[in-house]
Amino acid sequence: MADEASRGDDELLARIAAGSQAALSALMARHGRGLRTFAARYLGHAADAEDVVQEVFVTVWKQAARFDPEKGRASTWLYRITVNRCIDQRRRRALRNFFGLDDLVEEPAAQEADAEAATAAKQELAIVRDGLSRLPARQRMALLLRAVGELDIGAIAEVMGASAGSVEQLLVRGRRALRDHLADAAAGRERKSS
Amino acid sequence: MTREEFEKNRRRFGDDIEAWPAPFRRQALEFLAPQANADPDDVLDGLVREAALVEEDGALARKVMARIDRSAARPSLPRFLVAPAGIAACAAAVLVAATVASYQVARLQDPLQDSELLALASGERLPDDGSSAIIPDPGEEDSL
Repeated sequence: MADEASRGDDELLARIAAGSQAALSALMARHGRGLRTFAARYLGHAADAEDVVQEVFVTVWKQAARFDPEKGRASTWLYRITVNRCIDQRRRRALRNFFGLDDLVEEPAAQEADAEAATAAKQELAIVRDGLSRLPARQRMALLLRAVGELDIGAIAEVMGASAGSVEQLLVRGRRALRDHLADAAAGRERKSS
Repeated sequence: MTREEFEKNRRRFGDDIEAWPAPFRRQALEFLAPQANADPDDVLDGLVREAALVEEDGALARKVMARIDRSAARPSLPRFLVAPAGIAACAAAVLVAATVASYQVARLQDPLQDSELLALASGERLPDDGSSAIIPDPGEEDSL
């Protein structure tokens, strides 16, 4: 495992394609948290995110041989699989909601903001989470791929199947909306305290 | 000082930090120091990254391996059968088979139905024993 951890993503994927479970574990240790964070904040549902990330790594296990390092970075490939799974999961949940099989749509971000009001720092992060959950899905996806996945514009465009210009627009709008949300929250609390 | 406290003080004392009361000014300068040269978008991305963090689940690897083992143990359906196109093709095949079967069943019943319809149309009646032969009405010859 220590050996595997020192290998690059491309090499790990080549070893996974050859059937190395240790390489898969190393890849999960490296990217699992980022993918799970992305999925949890994009979907707004921790259990769905958990399921999605497990599916992603099962897919990686089965299809690692399909990864071509010439075509892009491994992290971009992983996030593309995750994004596709997240979109499928959202559709499934929307369908279940339509037929009344699910009561819960998204985690109650506003309640989370109240619950985490213990310290100002935590509260600020809760406000950011709340703001994120209110963004349109594609703006939220672009922002999370940039901030959590640390992908550049080109990679985000590849993952989302959009042009670089569209991604830039999504990021600009998303950041602006998030800043407005932070400012509104600060103003609201100021009014409340005065 | 957090960003929120900074924003609150900025609203309270104004945009010019140098004009803030000394303790607040010092805290504000300390807060801004690491961000002085940073791109505001990068600062916001950092905040998003921090806010997005979820508790790490150490069981991820174990759960994924369990799924892989389960899928390896289970004889899986051919890929084309679980794809949407495969499911649609299967549904169409079932529909065609059901239609053909219905025609076959209906054909077995057809001679009797034809006889009944013919009897009805010609004003004759079928024998009570269920045979398909058409028998003339007893009073028919007399009436002619």
